[in-house]
Amino acid sequence: MIKTTIVLFFLNILIVYSIQAQKIYATKTAQIKFESSTSTEDFDATNNQVESKLSDNGQVEFKLLMKGFVFDNEMMQDHFNGKEYMESDKFPKAEFKGTIANIASVNFAKDGAYPIMASGNLTIKGITVKESAAGLIIIEKGKVNTKSSFKIKLKDFGIVGKDIGTVISNNITITVSAKYE
Amino acid sequence: MNKKNVILGVLLVGVIAVIGVWYFIFYRPTHFKRDVTDEKAIVVSAKDIVKEFQSNEAEANKKYLNKAVEVTGEVIECKKDQEGHPTVTLKSDDAFSNVQVTLKGDKQLEAKGGSTLTIKGIVNGNLSDVIIIEAVVTKQ
Repeated sequence: MIKTTIVLFFLNILIVYSIQAQKIYATKTAQIKFESSTSTEDFDATNNQVESKLSDNGQVEFKLLMKGFVFDNEMMQDHFNGKEYMESDKFPKAEFKGTIANIASVNFAKDGAYPIMASGNLTIKGITVKESAAGLIIIEKGKVNTKSSFKIKLKDFGIVGKDIGTVISNNITITVSAKYE
Repeated sequence: MNKKNVILGVLLVGVIAVIGVWYFIFYRPTHFKRDVTDEKAIVVSAKDIVKEFQSNEAEANKKYLNKAVEVTGEVIECKKDQEGHPTVTLKSDDAFSNVQVTLKGDKQLEAKGGSTLTIKGIVNGNLSDVIIIEAVVTKQ
């Protein structure tokens, strides 16, 4: 009887500990930037209202509103959101849900820049494509930041406006920066 | 009309066309951004706008998306985004869904948690929070 009680007691501690052990870091002001570069024109746009969550078990997600991308040129922004390209009224959101394979190599308790590899499903314009990206998890004075840069092909997401391949590159560079709380 | 005048006329039209294209495609869209300060806005509380987006997002999008709104609510926190724009979160009845506002400019907003604030901005849509951008404080 005493033995069972002791076993149950430690089992209980273990369960409580493992529930507490999973920590989720979140922010609502992550930044995602994309850049297009062709011989005709270079341009970029930034979204500063990206929601992101990162769990220390390796789960990671980003969600954003397409209309949150701000261009220097407002006319370009209208085209981007318009029927020919993103159709943002019809497909207002984009998201990435994935996992970091080598999360075990990140020591969240120790300052440092840890290289990571994330892979998962990226959904833009209603089309989901498996993507993977290399990045960094940076731990600085207990704060957790992530950074990543990767390329996507617009055609994979059914984005086929007439200027793609000439004024707009089919290969877009996405840069992600999240400062979690 | 001599040949010289025709050439001059054509040149003048050409120069005006070039200036026009430059102004409307390159200058105006980069220098005159939408400013909601003088726009007529839909007046709503932070609690109600969140409720509307939660109960029917498609309908709420029709009503609010890209529109100017004047939202009043209780301040949860003031921060800055990664580009240094001030942000403020206004409280709703749901702890997991509030109103996330990005203000114009770069001056940190000084508003205490729990105080009431009214902002005017453009509704960008709904993630877990209702997102409002390009906002100005109208009442503090």
